[in-house]
Amino acid sequence: MADATAGSPLRPSLIVDDVHVHYRTFGGRRLPDGASWTSRLRRHVGAVDVVRAVQGVSFVAHHGESIGLIGHNGSGKSTLLRAIAGALPTAKGRIYADGTASLLGVNAALMRDLSGEANIVLGALALGLTPAQIRERYDDIVDLAGIGDFLHLPMRAYSSGMGARLRFAISTASRPDILMIDEALATGDAEFKQRSGERVAEIVEHAGTVLLVSHSMSTIRSMCDRVLWLDHGRLVADGPTAEVLEEYAERTGRPVARPTPRPKTPVS
Amino acid sequence: MSAGGGARSPLAQLAAEHGLQRVGVRPPFESYLAQAWERRHFMVAMAASKAYARNQAGYLGQVWAVLTPALWAGVYLLVFGVVLQTNRGIANYTGFLVVGVFLFHFSTSSISNGSKAITNNAELIGSLQFPRVLLPMAAVLAELFTLLPALAVMIVVVIASGEPVTTSWLLLPLAVGLQWIFGTGIALIFARLVAQVRDVARLVPFVLRALMYTSGVFFSLSHYVHDPTAAAILQHQPIALYLELARSALLREVPADPSAWLWGAGWAVGAAVVGLWFFWGAEERYGRG
Repeated sequence: MADATAGSPLRPSLIVDDVHVHYRTFGGRRLPDGASWTSRLRRHVGAVDVVRAVQGVSFVAHHGESIGLIGHNGSGKSTLLRAIAGALPTAKGRIYADGTASLLGVNAALMRDLSGEANIVLGALALGLTPAQIRERYDDIVDLAGIGDFLHLPMRAYSSGMGARLRFAISTASRPDILMIDEALATGDAEFKQRSGERVAEIVEHAGTVLLVSHSMSTIRSMCDRVLWLDHGRLVADGPTAEVLEEYAERTGRPVARPTPRPKTPVS
Repeated sequence: MSAGGGARSPLAQLAAEHGLQRVGVRPPFESYLAQAWERRHFMVAMAASKAYARNQAGYLGQVWAVLTPALWAGVYLLVFGVVLQTNRGIANYTGFLVVGVFLFHFSTSSISNGSKAITNNAELIGSLQFPRVLLPMAAVLAELFTLLPALAVMIVVVIASGEPVTTSWLLLPLAVGLQWIFGTGIALIFARLVAQVRDVARLVPFVLRALMYTSGVFFSLSHYVHDPTAAAILQHQPIALYLELARSALLREVPADPSAWLWGAGWAVGAAVVGLWFFWGAEERYGRG
């Protein structure tokens, strides 16, 4: 593991100090194969399990750094970002940030039964904007979403692409100091991708520090100068993008352009 | 991690050197309240959206905001007034029943929805940072927004039942306000309990049903309870108290009792303070587990 405190003239913007994140799940339980019938009962009564999603991760991010997080599904990348955003409690360890750290994304705050207009206001308030800031940025959000008069229809009626455009447009209205993106770039059609890319570049410029979770190695290569590789909740490697990706390819035997096998059935 | 000296790790020292703030810690109580106040617009928007979205799926849309309580009033008056022909010693049973049913429903839906506000919003909690107290408060405020058109229906029914409009009607908003504050406090307490032990949510409906029969919703408590100790307890029971206060504001036959107003205010302030304090105590732990 790379030394997280390597003497650097850079100013730290985010410090993650031996962080563990656990969460309880209700309704199911992992049991060993040869479990006795009495312990198998625990699948039905007291079916509560603890997932140790992040286990002792430490690193220091600096102002002006773009850091990619890689690792296979379930390696703890998203959980780590949520903990840094202050949205998930840490079981152990500490996180320090210079300013606000937040995830790009607002899905959970929106309501499918409300119109796009109402959701812009609701979503922007959820992101912490004041009513005055919302009035100021409202037209920008509408322009970026580009969904025409569907704005007056409930989000329930939107195609998945339109929903994604509106959600992206709302979420980019916030300007956090530390920006975290979780697979947010792979939404919408080609024209929208280009426009959204410009908007992301704008926020990245404002943020100074960016953490990006992606399974697309080409995105990681083009956006990040440093990569953290997580496996089973532990940090396996931390270093310059090219080095870590090379190591990742060697150790996992996967080409770094496409690290995870795609399922046969399309996933929306 | 560190060899000798302080217990602080080198990373903690680095954070201190550069003035970085800890993420995910519970702020002191006063700053927590200040943060919640700063985000009040979000809470109001969540509550208003929820109350509004309830009625949007249908041709009549927001007409249902008034139609739903009007139909409830019709059903209760038909069953109790026409079919069962009971007035249970009350001159204006129509007014008594409508006030009781509407305001009791306000409290039960506040408590049952408020208690699930954390567990039902796990995804929202897992993605955005804001004072979690906004969630149960918004759930209860949504019930208040739903109640407002119902209050209009209630007032129409009370006037139609032959009750004169007097200055004491001005006390109705105060009674409803106290009931709202009380409901918020109780919702905050249950929201934390349910977040930590989900099974508690299964018990809430039983508590609410017990309250229904001990709050004088359909009949006057003094008419049925003769044991003086039991009567005194039931009369000071908060839900029964708030129904009594609203009735004393609107109905001539229910006497206005100043001590009841003091009790009502006491329950409201007490529940709000205890609820906020208790909810705040686990602030940094609300999340996926």
